[in-house]
Amino acid sequence: MTVVIGFEGSANKIGVGIIRDGEVLSNPRRTYITPPGQGFLPSDTARHHRGVILKVLKEALDEAGLKPCDIDCVAYTKGPGMGAPLVTVALVARTVAQLWGKPLLGVNHCIGHIEMGRLITQANNPTVLYVSGGNTQVIAYSERRYRIFGETIDIAVGNCLDRFARVIKISNDPSPGYNIEQMAKEGKKYVELPYTVKGMDVSFSGILSYIEDAAGKMLTSNQCTAEDLCFSLQETLFSMLVEITERAMAHCGSQEVLIVGGVGCNMRLQEMMMVMCKERGAKLFATDESFCIDNGAMIAQAGWEMFRSGQVTELSDSWITQRYRTDEVEVTWRD
Amino acid sequence: MANGNMAAPSKEEINTQNKLEFSLNVPFPSTREASIALRSLLPDREPRKGGITKKMAISGSTLCVRWTADEARILRVSVGSFMEHLTLVMETMEAFGPPVLL
Repeated sequence: MTVVIGFEGSANKIGVGIIRDGEVLSNPRRTYITPPGQGFLPSDTARHHRGVILKVLKEALDEAGLKPCDIDCVAYTKGPGMGAPLVTVALVARTVAQLWGKPLLGVNHCIGHIEMGRLITQANNPTVLYVSGGNTQVIAYSERRYRIFGETIDIAVGNCLDRFARVIKISNDPSPGYNIEQMAKEGKKYVELPYTVKGMDVSFSGILSYIEDAAGKMLTSNQCTAEDLCFSLQETLFSMLVEITERAMAHCGSQEVLIVGGVGCNMRLQEMMMVMCKERGAKLFATDESFCIDNGAMIAQAGWEMFRSGQVTELSDSWITQRYRTDEVEVTWRD
Repeated sequence: MANGNMAAPSKEEINTQNKLEFSLNVPFPSTREASIALRSLLPDREPRKGGITKKMAISGSTLCVRWTADEARILRVSVGSFMEHLTLVMETMEAFGPPVLL
């Protein structure tokens, strides 16, 4: 049996999870929630993480009913993400690894999402749509790499949603995306927005500028409601994502789609993806918010795979990195 | 640590090369714990490329850190963030230590 503890804190969530051979023993998490109209800044987010990380770590051990000596490896997020929060989490991971005399393992955050999605859904070799506040990528596995077939050329889809929520002062509790999703259900009118798919890539910054500009005018003149805008934005963004996912599937001859990342728990996105999958006779795999949204177990799971294939990270190589592409990692645990 | 001893001697002065200097000595209960702190704090580079250097070493059971910088503003940011990191490492050691025997 191999037990891995994983530390995640690359954005506004801080989580510690423990995995024993594919079984999630514990996975506590805290979210740094800012007031409506405000995003989360690196230094404030790091302060939040510093304040709760030891409590979350203790919870993870207690819930799993394990002692430090039961753990085989300490995994943490090496990147990508915001610098100050990443350092906070890495410091605690390095310190406990040394206190407990356990090997350390730096994990790519995106790989964490993919491996957790594969574990939970048992998808074998899916085309992966990874959508969150910081990342938007369509990924397929080939020859020891998760290859990026398409991605955003500017901001992430979740960032577009989050920033739209700020403009019209939607609450960030529990998350701006969740609140947009609920409001969109009440939307009646489709407001036409720019649709920007460029080959296999997508662009969201122009859509954001357009809706930021249009929102004020249209809302004050009662041309549409905030709910209509939420609905229209979701329909437009998600159509773009479904289009590039479908094109990647056609390229790879793939019959499986796995959606991961925080935006992946949006039911409307899953519904739209399901329509496309049905038309192609393909299968859709997705997880709920406990595993879609950043969490410690996903880092533990990717760490488990890496550790079992013989990888460890020396302390001197354990620096964090804000930029760390999914395809930089050699996948030593798959054929 | 044992009594959260952060009141280490420090000085700020302009040396012969016209640089600001800051040094901090942090006592730990043992060499092992000082070394764990050093190895936890060492891997991440200073975010700023130029204008500041930070050197860390162990002397007995004391962690010794020494900065030189061109400007007080840059020095303050680096020392401030180091203190936050050090505090977190010490809190982690208090909560999850002492280190296992090797």
